[in-house]
Amino acid sequence: MTRVLSALAVATLATARLLAHHSSAMYDQQKTLMLRGVVTQVRWTSPHVNVSVLTDAGRAEPGVAWVLEATSPGNLMRAGWTRTSIRVGDRVSVVVAPLRDGTHGGWCRGLTLEASGKKLEC
Amino acid sequence: MPAPLPDWSGIWLPDLEDQVAQIESNPLPWTASAAAEVKRLTAAEQAGHPKGLFANCLPEAMPAWMLVSHNALEILFTPGRVTMLGESDGNRLRRIYTDGRSHPADPDPSFHGHSIGHWEGETLVVDTIGVFPQTYIAISEAVGIPNNGGLHVVERIHLTGPDVLVDELAITAPKVLTATWHTTRRFKRQKGANADILEGVCLQGSFAEQTDARGDAVFTPVPHTDEGNPVPPPAP
Repeated sequence: MTRVLSALAVATLATARLLAHHSSAMYDQQKTLMLRGVVTQVRWTSPHVNVSVLTDAGRAEPGVAWVLEATSPGNLMRAGWTRTSIRVGDRVSVVVAPLRDGTHGGWCRGLTLEASGKKLEC
Repeated sequence: MPAPLPDWSGIWLPDLEDQVAQIESNPLPWTASAAAEVKRLTAAEQAGHPKGLFANCLPEAMPAWMLVSHNALEILFTPGRVTMLGESDGNRLRRIYTDGRSHPADPDPSFHGHSIGHWEGETLVVDTIGVFPQTYIAISEAVGIPNNGGLHVVERIHLTGPDVLVDELAITAPKVLTATWHTTRRFKRQKGANADILEGVCLQGSFAEQTDARGDAVFTPVPHTDEGNPVPPPAP
């Protein structure tokens, strides 16, 4: 138990604060993951947009709730997004740089709306 | 009759690749103590544990706003003044007085300092003092050293092409730099449909738009883990 608690304490110290304005260095930009699932929340907020995705369940594992982060609404707007480009319930595939600590968060690098095939850069 | 002012309309997006190139090719003359801290913070950032210089939502401030911002800014000319407004955090505002006044003898400290400017042809020359000692001289959003007092910034801001604005900065910070640091930052113009600055409030992301028991529309804090990570909504 002591070992588990120690590991948790280290994880707490090591995880940077994601709310508010921050660097994206807590994400491992050398890794990419492809997630597929359903959008459960879109938060079109400054200074960073957040999109929650419930990934598809596999044969052996349940779906997982991920929180994905992107740049600011202004920067996304200039990359072709609007506040309603993605909506709750949309099926998406997303390329992410995952959090280094292994928790289910990632930096959105590109998102595809499966219904239309439309691609959005994050 | 004064010369006409240049056209700086539209919005200006920082050249992020150039920011990095400047830091790599033109390192700061840090004091030994500051250099050691920069080394430690850089290692922490590269290991994925960034300090988060601006995570408290205080302004990026001078000179970090000019040096490491990832967000657009716009520049407004009115008689006797140039105003810079930044996107994303909503607290980026520089008032540069071009009406011929001097600095106050003892300016009240502020995040962006007291700035006076004048035009040399189509170049805006800006002199800034009176900045809080706590504002960062930053090389990224995770690596920076407080200027620690006595900060003096002189800028020469001018177009180098139809849509490229360059800020030549001379940054003097005697507590943390051994010499004045000369560096430049480039900004690219965007005009047209996507060139409106969006409102940005730094703490907005920490709150959700909800309706309370009375039916009033309210902002409520976003649920988050002890580490500050937003909690995904429950599965439908």
